[in-house]
Amino acid sequence: MTTANLNPERATEAVEGRRTFISWITAGALVLSAGLMGIFNLIFLRPRVTYGPPSKFRVGKPDGYSSGAEVVFPAARVVVRRRGDEFAAISLVCTHLGCVVNPTDSGFDCPCHGSKYDSAGNVVAGPAPKRLSWYRIAQAPNGELEVDKRKEVDSGTYLEVKA
Amino acid sequence: MSMDKVQIPWTDSDGKPGFWGALHSLPRRVYHSVFRSRPIPANDLERSQAVAANFFFHLHSAKVQERTLRFKTTLGLGLLSLYTFVILVVTGILLMFYYVPTPVEAYDRMLDLRGAVFFGTFLRNLHRWSAHAMVGLVFLHLMRVFLTGAHKAPREFNWMVGIVLFLLTLLLSFTGYLLPWDQLAFWAIVVGTSIASYAPVVGDELRYVLLGGDSVGAEALLRFYVLHVAVLPVVLTTLIGLHFWRIRKDGGLAKPREK
Repeated sequence: MTTANLNPERATEAVEGRRTFISWITAGALVLSAGLMGIFNLIFLRPRVTYGPPSKFRVGKPDGYSSGAEVVFPAARVVVRRRGDEFAAISLVCTHLGCVVNPTDSGFDCPCHGSKYDSAGNVVAGPAPKRLSWYRIAQAPNGELEVDKRKEVDSGTYLEVKA
Repeated sequence: MSMDKVQIPWTDSDGKPGFWGALHSLPRRVYHSVFRSRPIPANDLERSQAVAANFFFHLHSAKVQERTLRFKTTLGLGLLSLYTFVILVVTGILLMFYYVPTPVEAYDRMLDLRGAVFFGTFLRNLHRWSAHAMVGLVFLHLMRVFLTGAHKAPREFNWMVGIVLFLLTLLLSFTGYLLPWDQLAFWAIVVGTSIASYAPVVGDELRYVLLGGDSVGAEALLRFYVLHVAVLPVVLTTLIGLHFWRIRKDGGLAKPREK
């Protein structure tokens, strides 16, 4: 039953048109604001500041490492390696599902699903899809070595530190 | 003695109820303000009215097919899922009184629940076993519905609501897994969120938002806690309401076509 049947005097075509128009405007405004709120909530949930371990951290002076040393930093999940006068930082996070790999004589083994890597971090066995990350290592102004986990470098990239 | 001198004890001289009359009828009026029907219905009409007038029963149809009431029709799996959820809400709220979602406290609080809280071990185990049971029961309920063809028209929408309820059950199970903050929980979430990051296009972003950072830490614990105790239960409860309401609106439980 249309409005004209209910109240023939008031319900002109102009009124019906206006009602339809207002209904659409209201519905549109509701959908728009709900959509925007959804997007804003997603942005809200994506943290701008994280409270985890910093991605850039210092690992001591070069003299602290004997030649051939491999020092594990458990909290950062990085191993710092010295070969002669060259330094490298290799990730200890398995590229399969994120477990921490253990350094072994032949390279690195993952305890979770059996991935094996050689000493350069290349995949030898197991489900790991790619090699372990190598991170950029640089010398800070005070002489300490600094690892930056945001910057990945090619496998086999060493930093030469002159004594 | 004329008749107009006789006064009924609980009325005043005008024949109105008066104070004592009101007091006399008080229990009955209080009862009827709460319950709209008589305590024990006398006939079928009153029985259906009693169901319709009761908040806890109003989701039921006043009339149901007799065969859908038989245990072997549904094996009671839907209601059993609901009961485990009720147990999980009650025990979960009680556990919240003692649990603190921070890396420093969480594990110790979990141990305290087992060692220092009255009935704590029972509560925690009840919560854990009910959680396992709920996942199993919801899955079996889905199987029953599918194998009896109850997902077909006109119940396709409710089937999809059921699928979402199943996913929410799994998400609740997953988010609750992290909360003890022991080695098992930690590495399970490391692996689980890494699996999430394999999702095409949004994977890495999804993991970042889920963990509140790049690694499983304090932020991840807090996020999983809020999802587990607030967001997911509210969504689940709302959808359970919709699910039950739709059962009625779709004509009760599925049954073979009339011959």
